[in-house]
Amino acid sequence: MTGIDGCLAEAMTIPGARGASLVDWSSGLALGAAGCSPEAGTGRDHETTAAEVAELARLAFESGAFTAAAGPRPGPGPVEDMIVTAQDSYHLIRFVETSFDSSVFLYLWLDRTEANLAVALFRLKDITARLVPA
Amino acid sequence: MTGATDTAPGAVLTRLAATGATGALHGRVGALYLADGAVVHAESPAVPDVGWRLTAGGRLSAQEWEEAVETGGPDYRAGCFLVERGRLSRGELELCHLSALFDAAYFVLFPLDRSQQAPDRFLKEARHWFGPVRPVPVSVLQREVSRRRALLELAWPRPEVDVAPVVPASGAGAGGAGCDEPTCGRRAVLAAADGVRTPLQIARALGRSAFATLLDVRRLAAAGLVRTPEAGVPAPGGPTPRAADPAVPEISLLYRIRDALEAL
Repeated sequence: MTGIDGCLAEAMTIPGARGASLVDWSSGLALGAAGCSPEAGTGRDHETTAAEVAELARLAFESGAFTAAAGPRPGPGPVEDMIVTAQDSYHLIRFVETSFDSSVFLYLWLDRTEANLAVALFRLKDITARLVPA
Repeated sequence: MTGATDTAPGAVLTRLAATGATGALHGRVGALYLADGAVVHAESPAVPDVGWRLTAGGRLSAQEWEEAVETGGPDYRAGCFLVERGRLSRGELELCHLSALFDAAYFVLFPLDRSQQAPDRFLKEARHWFGPVRPVPVSVLQREVSRRRALLELAWPRPEVDVAPVVPASGAGAGGAGCDEPTCGRRAVLAAADGVRTPLQIARALGRSAFATLLDVRRLAAAGLVRTPEAGVPAPGGPTPRAADPAVPEISLLYRIRDALEAL
């Protein structure tokens, strides 16, 4: 069974991975991080990136547009992944479902020329499922 | 970054970190446990602790939790015991414990009751029965609690809503029942707002982070979905947020007393 560090180390083996972090979206806290942050060159780091990405994740997670169409299945929320494609990069967010109250996602920053979006999404799903087995 | 000044909470904490101290920094508002200068545990009567969070949503039964406290506690490793017995995955333990640690640390360093001080008494060599899971550097913890304080201020600069009963604005609330499901976000908070419970009582009912609940209440108030009490008017006779928390804090207290005796 893997903990936070194992989970992040695995995420960094995904082709094209530049950086990864586990983030609590209700507060914007980075619970752990590996690799680089997209904002490293600007003097900012994983903590700043986590807080920014968390804000986006929270809006999506609580958005009526994304959640209203979902059925009444119990659980934290119907949003599973978020994908942002940028000029040279992909940014993936995979929400981690737990059976206690939490608000965590795995964030992955990928180099677009090296990454395969489908593979990365599949691997992220697998990694988070092993972090918190159903 | 603002907030990290000489008057930042826990100047004592900075000193303890610098000397690589092990022990408990404690006071009336709770305690921070350090091992080799890093924070390994935090407890505050204001927040649901790890046990409460894991049992509130049914992730663990009360028996499973008590077994870990009674069997793993005396060796200061109740947390790891849960993983070894297959009750939790390592990931679940780390996520839940870290979340609870930062949550409690916030209310220890910034007590809601402004008349209370952050703790300044240090009990050398005291250890917590839960055991270390993922140590947090003091500088990281201090940055985070300052950031959280700024987040609250940014969401809605009216601290009155933190301690008053949460009253949904007309038409916004649902009220009362069904709080035992692991739901997230401010919808859950609004659904649990029955006009009597304070934010901290809602956090307890949901087994949820007290800080996140406070932030949700501030955001709901900013959106006009929750009423903001008039400044200076005391909340109408609501019960104090310190709800009864069965058994666990007492055990924690007993361990602390034992630690203190051993340290003599």
